[in-house]
Amino acid sequence: MPNPSDPKIKQDDDFELIQAINAGHTELFPELVSRYERKLYNFGMRMCRDVQDAEDMLQDTFLNVFRYLKDFRYETRFKNWLYRIATSTCLKKRRKSRFAPERELSLDEFLPREEAEIPVQTPAWASLPLDQLLNEELSSIIKESIQSLPENYRLVLVLRDIEGFSTAETAQVLGLTPENIKVRLHRARLFLREKLKDYFSHDA
Amino acid sequence: MTHDPSHTACLELFEKLSEYLDDELDEQICRQIEAHASTCVACRACLETLRQTVALCRAMRRTEASVPGAFSDRWKEYIRKMASEAMSPHKS
Ligand SMILES: [Zn+2]
Repeated sequence: MPNPSDPKIKQDDDFELIQAINAGHTELFPELVSRYERKLYNFGMRMCRDVQDAEDMLQDTFLNVFRYLKDFRYETRFKNWLYRIATSTCLKKRRKSRFAPERELSLDEFLPREEAEIPVQTPAWASLPLDQLLNEELSSIIKESIQSLPENYRLVLVLRDIEGFSTAETAQVLGLTPENIKVRLHRARLFLREKLKDYFSHDA
Repeated sequence: MTHDPSHTACLELFEKLSEYLDDELDEQICRQIEAHASTCVACRACLETLRQTVALCRAMRRTEASVPGAFSDRWKEYIRKMASEAMSPHKS
């Protein structure tokens, strides 16, 4: 039985609801689902190929949550545990993609190769306010670029920069070291930056 | 000022930019990075474009879609049924 005086547990917004469900009020489970359904669906849309896969992921994730909730011991926030399940569901569903083949990204590929590639000033797009910059076109460019990241990098970028998990939490969700998360995140961001640089250089 | 891409200071900074942006570095290293970026145009551009990349990525949170209605209705009914069946007295 988890000890509710543990400060970690008190911080979990879902503690009371989970306690009630585990005490036999399973009719409250849909409430837990509605707290996370939208977030998780969007996570699925970023990680999976299409709507069908995202829906399947959502369904399988909550079925697993329902099955294993009794064993949840608040060793992490419920949300982190939920994403851990969702992530492994995504990875199981994975299909080989020709748009984002599995490969390692190296730092070298993001270094300027020639003198001409070395910037002589900060480009204008880097200092514009987001509201001026982020229109529908750019938004879909960013989505496509994220989709074209190799999966291992996409997962880290989505969890860190879009879902807003910390380095430590992301490491916990993915079962990797924080060092590993930092390395992958940096390369994933550099990958995206290249796509944005391309986009804005055509634009100019 | 000329910029040498093999310059050690530039390469070191390049490796640490994300940690710098995420505030995950010691203060001393942060100061070194800031000092270098203030004199090196190329590294400053690198830092600012990466900062903006991260900001754009974070802004994607605003564009969240709703769960498709038909799917949501169908599977919520399923969840409700599953949850209430689990409640029934003959469960183990
Ligand atoms: Zn430099």
